[in-house]
Amino acid sequence: MKRTEFDIKISIEDVCRFLDIHKKSDSYEELLEELKEMLPMAYEKIEPMALLEFGSLDGYTVEEEGRPIKEALFGICTVGKRMAEWSTQLFAEGDYMRGMMADAIADNYLFQMDTAMEQTVIDMCRKQGKGIIRRIEAPQDIPMSIQKRAYDATGAEQEGIGIKPSFMYDPVKTVCQIYLLDDDTSRYHPEHDCSRCSNLTCRNRRIPSVQVKVRTGEEERRIRARKSESLLETFQKKDIFLTAVCAGRGTCGKCRVQFLEGATEPDEADRKVFTEKELEQGWRLACRAYPKQDCTVLLDNAETDFFVLADTKDGNERRISDGTSYGIAVDIGTTTIAMQLVDLSDGRTADVYTAINRQRAYGADVISRIEASNSGKKEELRSSIRQDLLKGIGKLTEDNRLKISKMVIGANTTMVHLLMGYSCETLGVYPFEPVNIDMIHIPYRELLEDERQDCPVTIYPGISTYVGGDIVSGLYTLEFAKREKPAVLIDLGTNGEMAVGCRDGILTASTAAGPAFEGGNITCGTGSIPGAICGAVYRNGKMETETINHAKPSGICGTGIIDVIYELKKAEIIDETGRMEEPYFKDGVLLSEEGNLRFYQKDVREIQLAKAAVRAGLETLAARYGISCEDVDRFYIAGGFGYKMNIHKAVDIGLLPAQCEGRTEAVGNSCLQGSVKYLLDPDAEKETEELRKMARELPLSNDKMFQELYMEYMYFE
Amino acid sequence: MDLIQEISEYLQKGRAKNVKQLVQQALDENMDPKAILNDGLLSGMMIIGAKFKNNEVFVPEVLVAARAMNVGLSVLEPKLIEVGNEPVGKAVIGTVQGDLHDIGKNLVVMMLKGAGFEIYDLGVDVETSVFIDKAEEVGADIICMSALLTTTMPKMQDCIDMLKERGLRDKYIVMIGGAPVNESFCEQIGADYYTPDAASCAEVAKKVVLEKKAAN
Repeated sequence: MKRTEFDIKISIEDVCRFLDIHKKSDSYEELLEELKEMLPMAYEKIEPMALLEFGSLDGYTVEEEGRPIKEALFGICTVGKRMAEWSTQLFAEGDYMRGMMADAIADNYLFQMDTAMEQTVIDMCRKQGKGIIRRIEAPQDIPMSIQKRAYDATGAEQEGIGIKPSFMYDPVKTVCQIYLLDDDTSRYHPEHDCSRCSNLTCRNRRIPSVQVKVRTGEEERRIRARKSESLLETFQKKDIFLTAVCAGRGTCGKCRVQFLEGATEPDEADRKVFTEKELEQGWRLACRAYPKQDCTVLLDNAETDFFVLADTKDGNERRISDGTSYGIAVDIGTTTIAMQLVDLSDGRTADVYTAINRQRAYGADVISRIEASNSGKKEELRSSIRQDLLKGIGKLTEDNRLKISKMVIGANTTMVHLLMGYSCETLGVYPFEPVNIDMIHIPYRELLEDERQDCPVTIYPGISTYVGGDIVSGLYTLEFAKREKPAVLIDLGTNGEMAVGCRDGILTASTAAGPAFEGGNITCGTGSIPGAICGAVYRNGKMETETINHAKPSGICGTGIIDVIYELKKAEIIDETGRMEEPYFKDGVLLSEEGNLRFYQKDVREIQLAKAAVRAGLETLAARYGISCEDVDRFYIAGGFGYKMNIHKAVDIGLLPAQCEGRTEAVGNSCLQGSVKYLLDPDAEKETEELRKMARELPLSNDKMFQELYMEYMYFE
Repeated sequence: MDLIQEISEYLQKGRAKNVKQLVQQALDENMDPKAILNDGLLSGMMIIGAKFKNNEVFVPEVLVAARAMNVGLSVLEPKLIEVGNEPVGKAVIGTVQGDLHDIGKNLVVMMLKGAGFEIYDLGVDVETSVFIDKAEEVGADIICMSALLTTTMPKMQDCIDMLKERGLRDKYIVMIGGAPVNESFCEQIGADYYTPDAASCAEVAKKVVLEKKAAN
């Protein structure tokens, strides 16, 4: 078979990539022009020809799946003599630049011919009743002399192609393809397999993809995964979010998936997390799994419908009316993003939007985001949050048909840094200095690099690196600066921010509670997702649990954790030092047969650390403010976790002081509420700035009282 | 700014037209052609080479600089012949038999030229004996071989063996490079120098050739 007609368009982009010509290069424009000038000449000189014939592999030992392979389809592709001569001539003239470009153009054309031939190759084999096992390459898979066999079989000599003693073809831009055949016509794999190629630095190296079938309950979704990517990374790209507290380091054991087919080899991290039996059943960590073949994966812990608090009191019905102006209030959390479209004329919520912050791909907590930013991913992180915001804005504004006139964002200091593209270098190291925590006024188009809206955007100012704009926003909405009697605001997130204050002054702190109350660091911990255990009662020697939406148990969330600790303490399974009684010490307490969810000694310890940090922080903060918890008028608990928390149980396990009972209010997403209030209140800027001036930060880490109390509240008494 | 310095600066920016014009101007002002070559063109190219080595610039910048150098050289060459300028040395270079990859080799060609060498580029898929025959024919100082595949690396060993057989091993400095090649492979096959990039190759080549010439 001979083919000389090809409809191929040389890809300038690929040629540039091949030659390392980047847009950032000072010479980019010049080189691009040069390339464009060369293209017509190249098309004129390229004389493509492809030859294909069947032949035998007699005299060669080729085995696949333990069977000898006897037949092959041989192919030869060339761009012809004139193209090769052109590049040689350019080099001879000392015009290396154009010489290399001509070379790269020829390669690009040749590779495209190769791809264009794939269908012809398959058709030819199908007609012959043959399947293609795979394509092999000389000299890595078979001796170079096979090129002579292909040369003879295809009659290349008659077509004016030469062959050298090294079995290389003349002209140089001529390549050989060898397809291994057998009678199994169920598969055709004519593509070059880069993963088996020894040219590791090749600019065209592409590790091909595998198909992953992802099963969630009854649903099955097919996605393509690159062999060079972990399953976790692949999922993240396809908007399937698994919890990955350790950012894919293989240490937290959260991203567990079950392979039903095509399981990967377990690695060391898998062996630490799973038992031999579980490994046999196909359990693996998604962050450690690099699928090498098509596979099927069962997922029951994906965060597809995370509960994000968007606080809409006006019901869920979207209502848009003409002639009024709208604003968008935003809360960028480390884990989630919440937005409200607000009717500026009457302050009503017109619509809400919530999503997962896709920066989670770079780690669950702010520290791993800071690390990621500092290791060269700053722009990626910025682009991630911009995309997330644009997606939400698009949804709220009917693809930007509705024009907004104002936007306000509340977020912690790290999130603001990532959004603004600031360096995070100083955030993560002592003395934890931020680049900027002042109030930011910035045009929409500049902030998001998007032209579809045009309005001013305000970003809440922060108090310090660890007490950010999200807290300021919460304090503003709760009117701390106007209160007569002191109140307390506690955010039970990873940073454990808290504040105490009234019109006489505000004192804030962050206690590094860790992610335990959000399910992090807890063996089967998870966020507030359907299936998360949110309540528990210990009865007749058994833990009876309740899950969000009554779904199949998939883990335990913060409210569930507090319940479990309370019940364990009441049943005296844990003593006042937090030690679990045998046999639970070793095997943990069974929470649910389904999914084999257990609560272990290690988990109790994590909670002890977290609750001690919060409680000691709160007591120290009050004391340094000059009051005791008795003097606190109201306690406000912010965040999704606080929303459904049983205050009595939280007091009993020592997380909160006894004074909290009867005086505590779950305020939900106070940051988002603050952003809404800012949109509506003409005096917002002035008031926020005043509030911020009244606020001071208490550094807890070297406070002696905090350290003593921290040890004290570690216990259950 | 000094004219020769300016030539170097323009060369680094790849401004061929400016380089050409300034080289002509320097010649018109009766400046020493050797100084124009060494302190203008070649020194500019060496600076680009060093930046390339440090990942400060990439292939395209080297390409445009090399083009500017060539344009400058074409103006300068007749004068250089007049004053009898000798190249630093002569080098024979190619990609070994069975290997078609040549981007790296081409960069080496450019950098060696930029270091003042006279280059005999044999291209790709070069038979072992051709390296040696060409070196003998032109009276080369260096044989440079490149290989990009693990499967073609052994050809470098063949060349060393053939040089020994023909009693020519000490006559030539053998330098090797390419992605799968490294220092220990160089030692193992008995080549003289391995360099990881084009700029280092030019630096080493110049240094060892000058040393060898001084010793003789």
